[in-house]
Amino acid sequence: MKQYTFFSLIGLLLLAAAIGFGTVLAAPEPAPVSQASALHPNFILLDADGVNVLESGNAVSTMLTCGQCHDTEFIAAHAFHSDLGLSDYDSASVTFDTSNGLFGQWNPLTYRYLSPAGDENLDLSTAEWLMLNGARVVGGGPATTSRGGAALTDLSVSKSNPETAILNENGSISAWDWEASGTMEMNCFLCHLETPNNEARVKEIEAGKFGNANTATLLGLNIVRKTGSDWAWNTEAFNELGEVNSETLRIQDPTNSNCAACHGEIHADETPLTINACDLDYPQTATTGQVVSAQRINDSGLNLSAKNDITRSWDIHAQRQLECTDCHYALNNPAHASEAQGTNPSHLLYDPRSLEISEYLERPDHNFARGESAQFNVAPEYKGTMRRCENCHDYSKGHADWLPYIETHMDAIACETCHIPQMYAPAIQAYDWTVVTTDGSAVETCRGVEGDPNAVTSLVTGYQPVLLNRTNIDGDSLLAPYNLITSFYWVYDDANGSRRPLRLVDLEAVYLDNGSYAADIVSAFDANSDGKLSDAELVIDTPEKEVLVREKIAALGLANPRIEAITQPYSINHNVTQGKNAVNDCKACHDADSRISQPIKLADYAPAMPHFDLDNNVNGSGEFIIAEDGALYYQPKPENDGMYVFGSSRVSWIDWLGALMFVGSLLGVLGHGAMRYLAARKMPHGAAATRRVYMYDAYRRFWHWLQTTTILILLVTGVVIHRPDIFGAFSFRGMVTVHNVMAVILGLNAALALFYHIATDRLKEFIPRPYGFFDDAILQAKFYINGIFKGEPHPFEKRPDSRMNPIQKTTYFMILNVLLPLQGLTGILMWGVQKFPVAANLFGGLPFLAPFHSLIAWAFATFILVHVYMTTTGATPVEAMRAMVTGYEEVDVHEDKDEG
Amino acid sequence: MKKRPSTHSGHRFPAWTLGLLGILLLILVPVLYFLPSAQKTNDPAAYLPVQAIHVDHSDIVKGEFETGQDVTRACLECHEDAAAKVMATTHWTWESKEFDVPWRDEPVTIGKANQINNFCISAQGNQKRCMTCHVGYGWEEYEEYDYTIQENVDCLACHADMSSYVKGEYGNPAEGVDLLAAARSVRAPTRDNCGTCHFDGGGGNGVKHGDLDESLYFPNEALDVHMGGENNMLCTDCHWTEDHQILGRMLSDNYTIDPQEQVSCEQCHVDQKHGDERIDTHLAAVACQTCHIPALALEDPTKTYWDWSQAAQEGREDDHFTYLKIKGEFTYERNFAPTYLWFNGDNEYRYLLGDPINKDGVTYINKPAGSIADQTAKIFPFKLHIAKQPYDTINNYLLAPITAGENGFWTTFDWNSGFQLAEERMGLPYSGQYGFTETYMYWPTTHMVQPAENALQCDSCHGDNSRMDWEALGYPGDPIKWGGRK
Repeated sequence: MKQYTFFSLIGLLLLAAAIGFGTVLAAPEPAPVSQASALHPNFILLDADGVNVLESGNAVSTMLTCGQCHDTEFIAAHAFHSDLGLSDYDSASVTFDTSNGLFGQWNPLTYRYLSPAGDENLDLSTAEWLMLNGARVVGGGPATTSRGGAALTDLSVSKSNPETAILNENGSISAWDWEASGTMEMNCFLCHLETPNNEARVKEIEAGKFGNANTATLLGLNIVRKTGSDWAWNTEAFNELGEVNSETLRIQDPTNSNCAACHGEIHADETPLTINACDLDYPQTATTGQVVSAQRINDSGLNLSAKNDITRSWDIHAQRQLECTDCHYALNNPAHASEAQGTNPSHLLYDPRSLEISEYLERPDHNFARGESAQFNVAPEYKGTMRRCENCHDYSKGHADWLPYIETHMDAIACETCHIPQMYAPAIQAYDWTVVTTDGSAVETCRGVEGDPNAVTSLVTGYQPVLLNRTNIDGDSLLAPYNLITSFYWVYDDANGSRRPLRLVDLEAVYLDNGSYAADIVSAFDANSDGKLSDAELVIDTPEKEVLVREKIAALGLANPRIEAITQPYSINHNVTQGKNAVNDCKACHDADSRISQPIKLADYAPAMPHFDLDNNVNGSGEFIIAEDGALYYQPKPENDGMYVFGSSRVSWIDWLGALMFVGSLLGVLGHGAMRYLAARKMPHGAAATRRVYMYDAYRRFWHWLQTTTILILLVTGVVIHRPDIFGAFSFRGMVTVHNVMAVILGLNAALALFYHIATDRLKEFIPRPYGFFDDAILQAKFYINGIFKGEPHPFEKRPDSRMNPIQKTTYFMILNVLLPLQGLTGILMWGVQKFPVAANLFGGLPFLAPFHSLIAWAFATFILVHVYMTTTGATPVEAMRAMVTGYEEVDVHEDKDEG
Repeated sequence: MKKRPSTHSGHRFPAWTLGLLGILLLILVPVLYFLPSAQKTNDPAAYLPVQAIHVDHSDIVKGEFETGQDVTRACLECHEDAAAKVMATTHWTWESKEFDVPWRDEPVTIGKANQINNFCISAQGNQKRCMTCHVGYGWEEYEEYDYTIQENVDCLACHADMSSYVKGEYGNPAEGVDLLAAARSVRAPTRDNCGTCHFDGGGGNGVKHGDLDESLYFPNEALDVHMGGENNMLCTDCHWTEDHQILGRMLSDNYTIDPQEQVSCEQCHVDQKHGDERIDTHLAAVACQTCHIPALALEDPTKTYWDWSQAAQEGREDDHFTYLKIKGEFTYERNFAPTYLWFNGDNEYRYLLGDPINKDGVTYINKPAGSIADQTAKIFPFKLHIAKQPYDTINNYLLAPITAGENGFWTTFDWNSGFQLAEERMGLPYSGQYGFTETYMYWPTTHMVQPAENALQCDSCHGDNSRMDWEALGYPGDPIKWGGRK
């Protein structure tokens, strides 16, 4: 039980260190200086046999070395970075994806297909997968364990098994001996050393010497040297107990630089930032343009358009000294425990029960808190475990002083949508694997840069992410920013009838002949007839080219070759900026060229129409569009996701119908008016007998004109809100406020007027009398189409107690009982989407309410037009209007009906 | 409803206008109440002093001027009390008001008139050259200066167009100056007037201050947001002046400074916040200058090290920026980060002639006051000037050599003669034994202010690339993790 003693010793050391730490906290001066964790003791480096490497001279075993104190078995078993989809591996999968991780999920960018056992043609074997992807494989999982769960070294070597074979460049297959190559344990050093030698590690992996990879990580730290194929341990780096000094190794919590080794560009020092653009060795940066750096963008070394004015830092969180692990922490880290527990009783705000630090250090969960990105599907059970924006920030405070309808906005838009308004580094746009270059890569295009993304002379323009609706784990649907990458590639049906991507070796056989393009390919593709093929010429844009390539593939004995394409969303969550640089102009979205409906270019030319990758949480509800120049675009369709954005969304038939109604009425009254004018000229002049009547009392006039004003303002502001693109001079926000205030005034005015009419019994004036209604209405209508031109008197006398004719009564009855309430109701519901969205949703939400509101507004506009015209039919054209101002009207004398 | 219509003839306005008014009010009042009001802005430019247009004196000033004093007499004919006002300022006295300092029994004054620095060391006894920057005429080393003679006030130094006026020996007009032309050119002081002495303090461009040099005559916005920005500000836009009393005090020439006498950012930046709570929390402990003056001597280099002990080497080639036989070795630096100290606006210590030096280490010519425990102190940027300057090894105090003139060090290249001359003129006893000791002098930096986009960022001070020595400042560690001062 030697190990037990050792364990206790380490435990004591940890305790002593912890007490020391406590003392430091109690007396803040002087502070610990060292960068590396002072907690970590010196330790013995063990080889795979458990012998001190100083004695054996062998490669180090991380699992045994770190396993002296930490439960490395637990760690390896709780680490999706290590598993990479192995535990999800399903060779029977009908799609290209045999798992949800790097090991098995087919990535059209890296293209090579991890062959399941029993495939007709071997493409990527486990060993070659490791060689190609090893730079981003931390070890353990598929680097040590077979798909069946046995150790790779225990597999019987057979070249018919994709786990123990390798495809040679010439297309032949050899066996792979894992005993000889060694396997790659989970490499603790890679993430826990300040300066791991990743370059040396990757070199060993690419050479297929997996057993050397972890030891190579220590090269250059003055601990070990490589002499030939042997390891020479530097005894001076070890103490008399045979322990390596942890200060020499600088064991530490993972820093941003450690994460950067695999994930993308992270820049931590003051030198001007330069990046490797569209380079899959920096996957996050390549696929999205995300760069994690505190540096101001204008201080960086990129040849970025209008750079001097971009004074924000690349990432505000990096600027504010957050580290990757602050959000992506170990799930059982006691410092973050309360966040990790989602199962607290609802009354409990904080649960103090968590692991002791020593327990945590023994068994730190290496399943890290993660988000819900579209591109990473491994360990889906941990999606949404990380600390997101809202876990740290209270949006209601940050936006309170300027953003109206905060809840409505937050319910529809992810924080990133406004706070990552623009990407300032290039990102991959398309990979065309229907062709291949002489160095065996696809024809790649990059967005956000003019020319070669890595040439210093290329102008980087950056790009605006496309906004797509995604569905979160909690069921919320939010607009969030994405890059879209489209890949084109050949597929065929193998002997088993399985659809497979064309192997790279076959693609090269089709296009290349001894490393240069085959003669028939050159003659078909050489557009400028210079005998050479440039990347621009490598495109299958004619049926002839496609037929040629298809036939050449078929000639290799591959059945049914055809081109497929996929468009994949890549989430953008980093490169966040603070409010003043975020989208904070209403019209950015509430306008005709709204951000939410901006199309994004996918490819200059589409050899095939892609399908949207739906194996993620993004709703691919938009459309693929081929522009006139043949370029392929993706057009988001927010309305397909049930979004209605004022100023941007419109239902065009509603507006056409409304306009038709309005213009029709306009033509009608103009025609009618013209005829009246002509008829009046023929008629004998002479004042008809009129008398002066006090028609409208003061309150009547008051509520009428108040209503007139509010309705007119409502119509005007409504139009501006509806079409901010036409009325750009107005502040969108101001118009919304005025509209809402007017609506309230109109509502109050209408209610008071109703009260007045009920209280004074005048309401009956507005109610059409059923008896003889149609006769009267027809009489009135006949007057308008006939009698009015002949100077006949109005069929019904306008009297203070009966001022309206039957048609008027009907019209007002409809307006007051149907249109006004409907308009008020839809308006209130629309306003209420932030306070009581349930109510609006009962009626179909904004996508129904808003167009309906517009339609009624058209009806109101039409009414006002006709109403104003009808007032001219009084004793003189302006008499009725004057009466509504002064109260007194000259009305025709009706002898027979005069009550005297 | 059958009553006869009234004609409203008795009213000047028809009754319905009242209704119209009511409707307008009902509409406008709520709209104005609810409309999102524009954020109130505190425009700093609004606080700039209105510079009166100066009367053109070219037709007013008459007469033959033989001497500077003639000019001053002419000025005083109209500006009767101007000289008296100037004489109340340190520009005239070269000496501060009296301070009680803990290490002396008697109140002391500080200034070029009686104390030393660690550049050219002493103006005393070196009046011939030094007085070119005194706002008076005829201050000579052999006799006590009479501070009461009004006509000795040099109006032209601050008011003449500097293309027509130069001061020479003992502060008198340089030979060949057309005094009439100079007198006719007078106007409110410009950058040129101030810059002639303050940009070239210490004997050359940018020698003394790390934040004041000749690049400020024509600065662009990137050099100084105030003087180079859209407001194109003059010195007097911040150094508000009333009755010739100019706002602003030099730390090294004072012991304590009344905040009322000091220029501050808040003169114009009233209640101005950053729109970022995180940044605003810094205001309790960090001076504006700390973030907004990220580097010193942006264009022209400034002297950071001066080793007098290397002077007088025979045969060594002179070079303005590295070695002069008369002055010794120097280091000039350009575009470098300041030194940060807690600073409450005062000195904790100012070396007074005769004070003992620190034999075991650095002697401070001045030491800014403040510490993490001092709630009135903020972290502030300084230019630190380090010198090796002579001291009396027996008497154990700093020496002030006479450099210029006959028997001056620059003539004889014999330190003893310079110190003996100083004993004669200044009364500073010299034992005959001298050595060189290291001295520190701190110069607060407040010019060459940068706009927000060039200011320091979080990572400038926090994290791995920090420019702050947090522990030296008294923090247990980086306050982003350890917390700010309580």
